[in-house]
Amino acid sequence: MNVLSNVRLCRGHYLMRLGGREFPPTLPGQFVQLQCRVPGEQPGWSAVEVAPGDWPKPTGRELTDAEPLLRRPLSLAGRYDTEFDVELDIIYSVVGTGTAWLARAGQGDEISLLGPLGNAFAISESKPRAALVGGGVGIPPMIYLASAMQAAGKRAVAFCGARSADMLPITLTPSQFGQFGVDSVIATDDGSLGWKGFVSEPLAAWLDAMDAPDRQAVVYACGPEPMMRAVAEICIARNVECQVSLERHMACGMGTCQSCVCKTKSDAEQGWSYKLCCTDGPVFNARDLIW
Amino acid sequence: MDIDLSVDIAGVQLANPLMTASGTCGYADEYADFVDLTTLGAFVTKSITLEPRQGNDYERVVETRAGMLNAIGLANVGLDVFLDQKVPLLEKLALPVFVNVAGTTIDDYVAVAAALDDVPVVRGIELNISCPNVKAGGIQFGTDGAQAAEITARIKEVCGKNILIVKLSPNVTDISSIAAAVVDAGADALSMINTLAGMAIDTETRRPVLANVTGGLSGPAIRPVAVHMVHSVYRKVASPAGVPIIAMGGIQYANDALEFLLAGATGLAVGTALFVDPACLTGIRDGIVEYLQRHGHGAITEIIGALEI
Ligand SMILES: Cc1cc2nc3c(=O)[nH]c(=O)nc-3n(C[C@H](O)[C@H](O)[C@H](O)COP(=O)(O)OP(=O)(O)OC[C@H]3O[C@@H](n4cnc5c(N)ncnc54)[C@H](O)[C@@H]3O)c2cc1C
Ligand SMILES: Cc1cc2nc3c(=O)[nH]c(=O)nc-3n(C[C@H](O)[C@H](O)[C@H](O)COP(=O)(O)O)c2cc1C
Ligand code: FES
Repeated sequence: MNVLSNVRLCRGHYLMRLGGREFPPTLPGQFVQLQCRVPGEQPGWSAVEVAPGDWPKPTGRELTDAEPLLRRPLSLAGRYDTEFDVELDIIYSVVGTGTAWLARAGQGDEISLLGPLGNAFAISESKPRAALVGGGVGIPPMIYLASAMQAAGKRAVAFCGARSADMLPITLTPSQFGQFGVDSVIATDDGSLGWKGFVSEPLAAWLDAMDAPDRQAVVYACGPEPMMRAVAEICIARNVECQVSLERHMACGMGTCQSCVCKTKSDAEQGWSYKLCCTDGPVFNARDLIW
Repeated sequence: MDIDLSVDIAGVQLANPLMTASGTCGYADEYADFVDLTTLGAFVTKSITLEPRQGNDYERVVETRAGMLNAIGLANVGLDVFLDQKVPLLEKLALPVFVNVAGTTIDDYVAVAAALDDVPVVRGIELNISCPNVKAGGIQFGTDGAQAAEITARIKEVCGKNILIVKLSPNVTDISSIAAAVVDAGADALSMINTLAGMAIDTETRRPVLANVTGGLSGPAIRPVAVHMVHSVYRKVASPAGVPIIAMGGIQYANDALEFLLAGATGLAVGTALFVDPACLTGIRDGIVEYLQRHGHGAITEIIGALEI
């Protein structure tokens, strides 16, 4: 796919919109593995001019290249299909070599992505309300989920947490959630915007203000693990269904390398077994997890 | 001009030399959507042990410069589930299959190898005596010539119709002497190299990055080491004995594969690069064809071991 735009949303996050002729069907919660380097040929080969009909020849030197080897897993933050193309949104924060390379990509650049990968958030048939809880780089999949909530006719509220106002990957006017009719509640650790404290606190208040939240609402969460654990505890204590999207270091993203394991409860002798975050997840039912 | 890419691995005919490196393509089910397995000459499975294994704790991988460390710990479904659930998938591939076998005792290895004689789609056993990531009662079959020879001989007895490929560890003083020992003990082919023992440290927490503390290095970073080892073993052991080498270690592009062919490899396995680009097999194959055309060769076998010194 090609980069349509790549803009800075706040101090910590960028939004990249990728466009292509086609892309297989995707669902909120799924991710892609992005190659943070120029796709295609062996480094050093493509730079050599080749006459038509001739073969490329190596320069004889192998370039040491500063581009990372493995792909980077990133959640889909939205999908827009038009008559002519498919557009995918990725929201990322620059934390290392790969994401720094992404931040340098410009309009028209080609980026190789593998996907869609992983399972998806399950949308409840019976429960009419939903809380979309995102912390930092956990917010992007919630934006995509908001579009599905609107399509499914659910009443959803987004709970967005960030360290401070300038680290929040969404804008308020217009808000990325607002376009899908989803209100957002903001919490920042330093109180520079919205609620001062953790996003789990307004979530608990929202559930407690509701009659029979266990029959009314589903909570979806993605973000730093301590945040997801707090959200999971709040939900489990109230018997509310909670789906969390986990992060693991991944080599393949396709279920073959066995690197991305999560401990889940099972009938096995030891009481647990490993599931793969990339294919069994990244979305898990909070009740099944052993944190 | 049509180029003949076919190779012969100890009597098993492959349409081309490309294979999957064990542990990097599962049992062929996972990649179905992403890779065209018909570009392969043979399929090599993830290691199978007698009993299922959960593997090591998280974290199991870490990326390093031009490579990665893994300490998966041979997580696999075990022999029974493999036979029940995975073999039917492998049968659909219509490719020769080599099953990588691992274990902690010689009896374990023997039980798995013997069971595979009854599976028609399986054409060979790749004996993994070189995994750096499992603590197996202190025994490292692959690093001691006498033990490597003993296990090779014991497995050879139960191989039946299957050819026996022994996968060598690079974590030894002299890989040629281990190669010679297993060839003398009956190995039909050699595959090399497994990952190089390595580790990464998180300097902030002063702790190892991998839960297993150490791991195995793979990817482009290890290719020069692997090329050198294939070269030495080819000259000293494999070529004189007429035993083919299946080479692996950092193959990502056609030129990498050509290096190994010139050094003496008959087969080529791709591992880490499949994670990066599941479609890379096609590029490698096409690049080899282009090279052979450009250099006026009609068959890939003409360049095996064609290194000039
Ligand atoms: C399913 C999933 C969805 C994700 N979605 C997003 C998203 O929408 N937006 C976003 O900004 N980030 C997301 N992440 C995290 C993102 O993958 C990492 O921030 C990114 O890989 C860092 O790469 P780097 O080269 O910049 O950092 P480096 O630290 O240089 O990376 C070194 C290695 O560690 C791995 N790594 C580092 N941090 C993480 C991490 N948090 N999770 C997994 N692997 C990591 C890298 O892939 C790489 O192999 C997601 C992770 C997963 C598993
Ligand atoms: C994630 C991972 C898992 C592996 N698992 C196995 C295994 O189960 N058995 C085995 O013999 N080798 C295993 N290997 C080693 C590879 O088969 C191969 O020898 C090595 O990675 C070098 O090739 P490469 O650089 O192309 O990856 C594994 C390698 C990786 C990266
Ligand atoms: S990342 Fe390879 S199995 Fe999940």
